[in-house]
Amino acid sequence: MKKMTVFFPLLFVCFFIISLISLSWGQIDIPFENILAMLCHELHIPLFADVPFTPEQQAVLYHIRMPRTLVGLLVGAGLGASGAVMQGIFSNPLADPGIIGVSSGASVGAVIAIALGLTELSMFYMPLFAFAGALLAVTLTVFLAMRHGRIPVMTLLLSGVVVGMLLGAMTSGILTMMNEQKMQQYLFWTIGGLDYRRWEHVFLAVGPICGGIGVMLLMARHLNILVLGDVEAKAVGMPVMPFRLFLLIIASLTTATGVCVSGNIGFVGLVVPHMMRMLVGPDHRRLLPASIIAGGTFLVLCDTIGRIIMPPIEIRVGVMTAVLGTPYFLYLLRRTRNMSR
Amino acid sequence: MATEVVVKVKDISAGYMKQPVLDKVSFAINKGEMVGLIGPNGAGKSTLLKTMRGFLPVLTGLVEINGRKVQELTAHDFACQVGYLQQYAEIAFGYTAKEIVLAGRYPHLKWWQKESAKDWKIVRACMEYTGVLDLADKTMHAISGGQRQRVLLAKVLAQQTPILFLDEPTTGLDVFYQEEIFWFCQNMCRAGKTVIMVVHELALAARFCSRIILVGNGGVIANGSADEVLTEEHLSQAYGVTVKVVKNPLTGNIEVFTVHADRDISMERLLYRIDAVNTVTNECQSEEQFR
Repeated sequence: MKKMTVFFPLLFVCFFIISLISLSWGQIDIPFENILAMLCHELHIPLFADVPFTPEQQAVLYHIRMPRTLVGLLVGAGLGASGAVMQGIFSNPLADPGIIGVSSGASVGAVIAIALGLTELSMFYMPLFAFAGALLAVTLTVFLAMRHGRIPVMTLLLSGVVVGMLLGAMTSGILTMMNEQKMQQYLFWTIGGLDYRRWEHVFLAVGPICGGIGVMLLMARHLNILVLGDVEAKAVGMPVMPFRLFLLIIASLTTATGVCVSGNIGFVGLVVPHMMRMLVGPDHRRLLPASIIAGGTFLVLCDTIGRIIMPPIEIRVGVMTAVLGTPYFLYLLRRTRNMSR
Repeated sequence: MATEVVVKVKDISAGYMKQPVLDKVSFAINKGEMVGLIGPNGAGKSTLLKTMRGFLPVLTGLVEINGRKVQELTAHDFACQVGYLQQYAEIAFGYTAKEIVLAGRYPHLKWWQKESAKDWKIVRACMEYTGVLDLADKTMHAISGGQRQRVLLAKVLAQQTPILFLDEPTTGLDVFYQEEIFWFCQNMCRAGKTVIMVVHELALAARFCSRIILVGNGGVIANGSADEVLTEEHLSQAYGVTVKVVKNPLTGNIEVFTVHADRDISMERLLYRIDAVNTVTNECQSEEQFR
């Protein structure tokens, strides 16, 4: 317990520092005190009042950096929480939201939107199609796995793989019929990124992601029971099936929202909860908050690194999460092979 | 003391996928009894227990817990009446022993509630009873099989149910741990709880259980005290081998063993043949290598 009193404040400090760095660094650097001055000015807090700032800095902060950082934090937090919940539902530390077809469904939606040329009409078509695709894929997976009013975990995993394959094939099929420019557009989407995110994206994502996270936090104690497996959970009086289905839907909705505003971003939902479990233990009442804060922080960190590593070219955040996530994950796996299960 | 029936099973057939393993099973269990369900592997002991707990459907007949049909009990009501220890509980992730025991408090909390100081007190008391208090902060992976079983027993106890169903609580444990589990159960029954357990250790069952139910051949073969049930006739019928039962004059305990002919020529011949196959293939290989 003593560890926790140090851990969570430390996590918060990391969260603030990295958010601040993300707002500050880029092609136009804005010093920390200027950012704080602008934020305090805006929120009418009488701090940093003597620090001057230019209208140019203000424009960069409000219209470029802030939406980008906020989308990153929201999506990262959502992916972290959904990942932890999925791992709990499947009692498997290697599960992530992609496992039941969320990302492959979103890809199909996105590719359809591009193929129909809807992306040129409005920026909202792609996210909406991706969201619809993700939900459709999850529904299909759950429907395939349902037998006699029950959803066995193993069947759910397998039908997730099947649905993923089918939708992957559909995506490839549509892709081969598209011209090069459209294909590149899809490629750009599929490697998730936070560039050119605007306030519209923030407003689109904030409701579903915060709502989803709130519900997941409320269910944390029940998730602890669900993780123990079907029989154990039933033995202590939990109606397993409704709980599992409900959490599955919430986690899928949250992930789908994330995918729809920033494209497919892998590894956050897998690595972050795993990492946090090592640090705070498997109790979801600590694991979920930790995964939420760390998820947001990790995604923004990856985005910042991708932005400054070789300017003016930006490495997309989906690439960075994989590049940073894979070695760390391998290290964890090798170090704790006996502990993880 | 007036006997009070807490578990009533009447003419049930039970099994997986509508394939009955057991047919026409009936018995009634009174409050405070410690019942051992025995029988050969695959006879349906666990199936019977799972059916009584409502995990498997009652195909025909009737199961009542404290006078209420199992089909009518909600998941929550059931968990307040019956604690269930499954045969082998695989625990994912590194949960600590006390977190596992705390799970036993689940049926007593509303969905929005947090465990109170009272719940932690109960958890502590249960762990003290089964002697695992010093393991409270150890993860379930880091403790031995015997300790693990005692932690899980503490979890079932923390549920504070009047009835406990234990599915092979002693399997895989060494003799002293086995005896300890039986001893814990005996004490619980003296305190007024009812325990029904699936066991393989006939001698321990005979020593500790107040009643033994022998399951075999698709039904109940015998039901009664150890002396009534553990007879050569009943056991031979259930296990399909010739069985001898001897009462140890020193301890008064029962010893059960199977009877074979001293030397079985046909068995020995079979063994020879296994080795012979080996030498023949070796020869073939060496012959091939020669060429």
